[in-house]
Amino acid sequence: MASVKLTKVKKIYDNNVVAVHDFDLEIKDKEFVVFVGPSGCGKSTTLRMVAGLEDISEGTVEIDGVVVNDLQPKDRNIAMVFQNYALYPHMTVYDNIAFSLRLKKMPEDQIYERVTNAAEILGITQYLMRKPRALSGGQRQRVAIGRAMVRESKVFLMDEPLSNLDAKLRNQMRAEIILLRQKLDTTFIYVTHDQTEAMTLGDRIVIMKDGYIMQVGTPTEVFEMPANLFVAEFIGAPKMNIIKTRLLHENGKYYVTPFGVKIEVDGEKGRELAKRQLGTRDILLGVRPEHIVLDRKGGGIPCTLEVNEMMGSELHLHVYTEDETRLIVRIPTIDLETSERESLAQGKKLSITFEGKVMHFFDPETEKNLLCD
Amino acid sequence: MKKNETEAPVMKQHMGLKASAAISNTIIYVILVIMSIIWLIPFVCIVLQSFRVESTYIVDYVVPHKWGLDNYVKLFHSNFTRWYINTFIIALVVAVVQTVIVLCMSYTLSRFRFKLRKGLMQFMLILGMFPGMLAMIILYRVLDDMGMTGSNSLPGLILVYVASSGMGYYVSKGFFDTIPKSLDEAARVDGATRAQILYKIILPLAKPIVIYTILTAFMGPWGDFVFARYVSQLKPLGMNVAVGLQSWLATDTMTHDNYTLFCAGGVVVAVPVAILFMCLQRYYVEGVTGGAVKG
Repeated sequence: MASVKLTKVKKIYDNNVVAVHDFDLEIKDKEFVVFVGPSGCGKSTTLRMVAGLEDISEGTVEIDGVVVNDLQPKDRNIAMVFQNYALYPHMTVYDNIAFSLRLKKMPEDQIYERVTNAAEILGITQYLMRKPRALSGGQRQRVAIGRAMVRESKVFLMDEPLSNLDAKLRNQMRAEIILLRQKLDTTFIYVTHDQTEAMTLGDRIVIMKDGYIMQVGTPTEVFEMPANLFVAEFIGAPKMNIIKTRLLHENGKYYVTPFGVKIEVDGEKGRELAKRQLGTRDILLGVRPEHIVLDRKGGGIPCTLEVNEMMGSELHLHVYTEDETRLIVRIPTIDLETSERESLAQGKKLSITFEGKVMHFFDPETEKNLLCD
Repeated sequence: MKKNETEAPVMKQHMGLKASAAISNTIIYVILVIMSIIWLIPFVCIVLQSFRVESTYIVDYVVPHKWGLDNYVKLFHSNFTRWYINTFIIALVVAVVQTVIVLCMSYTLSRFRFKLRKGLMQFMLILGMFPGMLAMIILYRVLDDMGMTGSNSLPGLILVYVASSGMGYYVSKGFFDTIPKSLDEAARVDGATRAQILYKIILPLAKPIVIYTILTAFMGPWGDFVFARYVSQLKPLGMNVAVGLQSWLATDTMTHDNYTLFCAGGVVVAVPVAILFMCLQRYYVEGVTGGAVKG
């Protein structure tokens, strides 16, 4: 168990491409931190720099207070799980898990104890004598986790461990990782491009783009108060609707005017705007699909239904407004009468609205959240 | 009724396809058998001639009139034994040293990224395009100055064969490239050194290519004539089997006296290689195709 501290960490490749810019982060002991972002954002590179598999161009990485920049991976006291499992195909599951312990010249009886313990926790005892090719994807990933577990390292690194699994197995393994984390009680750094994994697993999430940290926060923080437009759109599925509009400050009250409809910004968000003394201005207004409701009274934003996706427990309605802006509306199926649900066909005219408390306000130029410090 | 009507043409088509497949297979096999016979004829002739005891010169028939092992007995009472041992020592040492060099070179070029790596590979590619014969005179001069020619040609020949080993990395590097780098990385995290990764992870996975490298490294010196002839300068103690056997047919008179003996020598030379190939054939084919296709 250990803390990990990255200070001004930078990765510059030989072709002068900068993959990671001045990465600053302190990960506390036993914390589960998830690096998330789209392909090429530098999340795996950062993890690999912590692991010692990539050279650090600038800055320092500390594990438990010791700068490890020049240490080999084996001397960093870390364990790592790879996306493609990276199991040694010519060895049995037992030998795969025991490999690192044998290199340490640990007595065979101790190796046996550790391997069988790990196998029991992961439910792979019956496969110990099999070769990896005789295992399914999920079983292979368990072996990879087992191989990392037996090292009893201070830091557990996972590089997109669930990406190669099918959706169902991914959900199952995600739950197992949560349980595993409780059992191991160590520091985790987990890399993924899947925001659902990040939200469900992480104590804190580090959202990255083009080598820069966009935001660091708890799942609730990044969801409820995204620091910028990128985070707002990246976290949450379907992604947040972004509408170009104006923020009006009239008679001490705040309003937004999406598509010519004036909606008051009430509640906490209104008070926050007032506290910051923001005046009338152009903004990018963010509203999550689940916060938009069908306006049955009329007076809402008029729009036309383009696609109706039935997701089971909810409907995803893709609509376009009079100025051709595309929006997504997420409606729980249970909120709709059967007849109303069936009437939601392509071309149907709808009226939608949303409340002030669910709005997010972004500066059109800097794309920063106007309510974030 | 309707079902039968639709089934009948499908069945007919199926039978037609089956018949045409059988015909094309038969044609292919017949061609292969004929080609195998053509390739085997010289070898069978040499084997038969080696058992001929009624005369020692070239004759216009294949099957001996009188059979015997006289040629083989004579063979092992001649310089042939010395040449055979010479060749075996050279081939064995070269096989071991060259395999180690080639595999290390391939692993390095496959896994490490260093300055001038690509330049080095291109340089070796271009260098490999020049025939080795070009260097023969200078190599002889160097070896002669070092006292490694004539009767003492063994170390000289080993040096010549081993010297350019590193350039034969292409096939094995191609094979190593197909082994995921994450295996190396996992092993590094697990605590393995680079040497341990090569020995414990990469080589067991590259078994076919290791066998292929050993075989080709052994075969080169085993059958070499040109360098061995030049370096040994026909000194009986320094010759290998290819040079030695050829020396028996150097003149018409010698051919008249030694032809059947030469055939017996040819058979004995072919035996270890044939055994080696039969044992390792599966890996050899896998090695060539595995590296070429995947790489």
